[in-house]
Amino acid sequence: MADDDPLEARAIARVQAGDAAAYDYLVGKHLPRVVSIAYGVVRNAHDAEDLAQEAFVKAFQSLGRFRAGEPFGPWIYRIVTNSALDVLKHRTKFRHEELAGSEPAARRDDAELPAMSNDIARRIDAALEELPDMQRIVARLHLVEELEHAEIAAMTGLAEGTVRSHLSHARRKLQETLADLYD
Amino acid sequence: MTDDDKFFERLRTDARTLRHQPDERTLARIRASIHDRLAPKPTVVELLAAWFRPLAMTAVAIAIAAGIGVITLDRNDVTFGDEAIEVTVEGETFRVAD
Repeated sequence: MADDDPLEARAIARVQAGDAAAYDYLVGKHLPRVVSIAYGVVRNAHDAEDLAQEAFVKAFQSLGRFRAGEPFGPWIYRIVTNSALDVLKHRTKFRHEELAGSEPAARRDDAELPAMSNDIARRIDAALEELPDMQRIVARLHLVEELEHAEIAAMTGLAEGTVRSHLSHARRKLQETLADLYD
Repeated sequence: MTDDDKFFERLRTDARTLRHQPDERTLARIRASIHDRLAPKPTVVELLAAWFRPLAMTAVAIAIAAGIGVITLDRNDVTFGDEAIEVTVEGETFRVAD
């Protein structure tokens, strides 16, 4: 995930020196990925966009504490993942309260599913959605966002071993559900 | 590489297409919102100044218009003084000066 982008380092230095306009470069570079990561957790396009916006505002406000030379990507991904997990916790709590008296709330908005290239992708998406929350999130970050264990651990605040364990459980379940796809 | 690993690698390749990709318009909208939220907020003094500026401009415009009006009136008064009044009685014309 580390990338040596001299423009990024320069933009960070300029923002830290008070040039807010230089932040546009960082937003432009990382926004699509940040929205995608948030979407993978909350599964709602509108919430994902709001979370991305909040993450960039938060990052800007604490950029003074950002260490020079560090890549901006992992930092903003961590901020957005934490916020998305908070939204999810809030939703889960709300769902539990709702369950006491009525039908369970839908976990995702089907109308907002990303455009999928084919049926295989649809099957994978459905299989991922059947996983428990943390397995689903870790599996999505690893499979869809192509992040490594250490990166996922840093983003979610989980120990690397826990990430591996979630991934191993997810892998087993996905293998069962999608067995016919990869025979 | 075991069969399990191969399965996971193929799954990873296919799962890539599930990445959520907002369209350009959505991205532009989010970028604009972030930009707006990070723009420096005006101070109370700047807000008051922005509010009073049009009022001050209007007052200045009124003052300038009034000033020009007074000058024009003064000029007309001077011109009145220069004109002689002519009165004609039975073919005879009489000029009445100030």
